[in-house]
Amino acid sequence: MVTSASRPVPVYSIHPAIMVVAALLALLLQTFLPLKFPLARLMDFPLLITIYFALLRRNKVFGIGLGTMLGLLQDTLSHGYIGIFGIAKAIVGYLVAFASTKFELESLMARTLLTALFVLVHSLCLAALQRTLLESPPPFQPLAVASGILVNAALGLILFQILDRFRRTV
Amino acid sequence: MFDPNSPELTRPVEAVPREGPDVPAFVSRHGSFLVLVSVVIAQLLLLSFQITRNPNVRLIRYWAVTVFDPFERSLRGLLDASAGTYSTYRNLRHAEQENQELHVRLVAAQAQIQQLSEQAAETARLRNLLQFKSQLPYQTVAAEVIASSPGENSNAIFVDKGTDAGLATDLAVITPEGVVGKVLTVFPHSAQVLLLTDTSSGVGATLAQTRVQGIVKGASGGLCNLHYVMNEESVKPGEAVITSGLDQIFPKGLPVGTVVKAGDGNIYKEIGLKPAVDLNRLEMVLVVLKPTSSQQQALNLHGRP
Repeated sequence: MVTSASRPVPVYSIHPAIMVVAALLALLLQTFLPLKFPLARLMDFPLLITIYFALLRRNKVFGIGLGTMLGLLQDTLSHGYIGIFGIAKAIVGYLVAFASTKFELESLMARTLLTALFVLVHSLCLAALQRTLLESPPPFQPLAVASGILVNAALGLILFQILDRFRRTV
Repeated sequence: MFDPNSPELTRPVEAVPREGPDVPAFVSRHGSFLVLVSVVIAQLLLLSFQITRNPNVRLIRYWAVTVFDPFERSLRGLLDASAGTYSTYRNLRHAEQENQELHVRLVAAQAQIQQLSEQAAETARLRNLLQFKSQLPYQTVAAEVIASSPGENSNAIFVDKGTDAGLATDLAVITPEGVVGKVLTVFPHSAQVLLLTDTSSGVGATLAQTRVQGIVKGASGGLCNLHYVMNEESVKPGEAVITSGLDQIFPKGLPVGTVVKAGDGNIYKEIGLKPAVDLNRLEMVLVVLKPTSSQQQALNLHGRP
């Protein structure tokens, strides 16, 4: 499962239009679905998109850029300070891209575990930023974090299968 | 799934340059990490700016919302339309079953309405009969028609009252509209009534306007004839015929029928009557009991039969 740093690994690309549409849809669903389904509040579509494309491209700068952009857009559409999600998703984008160069992550199980791990990292980053920067941070809720991990891992399983249909090898 | 020898694998990851100065080498080696640090610092600065000076950052939000708002509206419209389509489809799926259920309920409701209207009509008839009965100067018994006598030319019916209700033969049977017939045979709990239209029946009658007397007998086709009216008498169609009371069965003054045709015969006129009562739609009748001697005396005092 572990790959050498100098070892060639498969790199995929996806049509930029599909990437933009996927990112846009993720943000739209993130703002719209909770209105219809309260359980959707646990979902983080922009995070899953960040994880997927960072895994796909295996490029840390790309992961940082994508995570930052989606996070900042998520911040602007939320009511909180702009930058909280941006920082958290930039870190996750970097770590995912880093992990993708170190491990063989093509299997379904590996990607699901990785998704769960980075959803946890994202939650911890958010909690840390909020506790550090905000006067009255929201309380850390382990149960909500665990639920978010399960829901997003399951959602990622489906979402990644769909997006895999559009990827092509470089 | 992962094959290092695959021709698709083209790009070595994290290629490390072997030559060059130390600083560029460090930057090249940790470039992506430095990018991350820069991005995080930049965002931290943005956060500190918001926290200390302008927590709302209205302009950025305004742009973001302006850009996303049309998409959100479109998505909402699309999802609402999808939900509406699905709802329509689901409703259509259940429409047939619902239609059948409603049809069954409709049939039941129609039957109930029919039953209620029947009851209402019966109530009206009974009220009418009761009112008529109370106005009569003689004692009567209300009876329900329970059957008709079998046979094509048999103009008779059965009623549900018999000797137990005081019925006897040759009692007049009437309705508020007029004469029905007379009791022909009496049984303990029922009686057979010979209708006015039977050829063997006979009712003493009077033309209401001219007071000419005769006898009404049954004829074919549900009609009656008025016999024994001389040719020289003037009889016109439409003239009412009432009981004369001379037959000692039917009280005087009850409607018998209406003249429908009148013509001269050898000695007597040939007069056709349409019965006052629709004898094909009888349901309730009144049987006129024989007055007791004291009742008869009282009736005679008041000038009634």
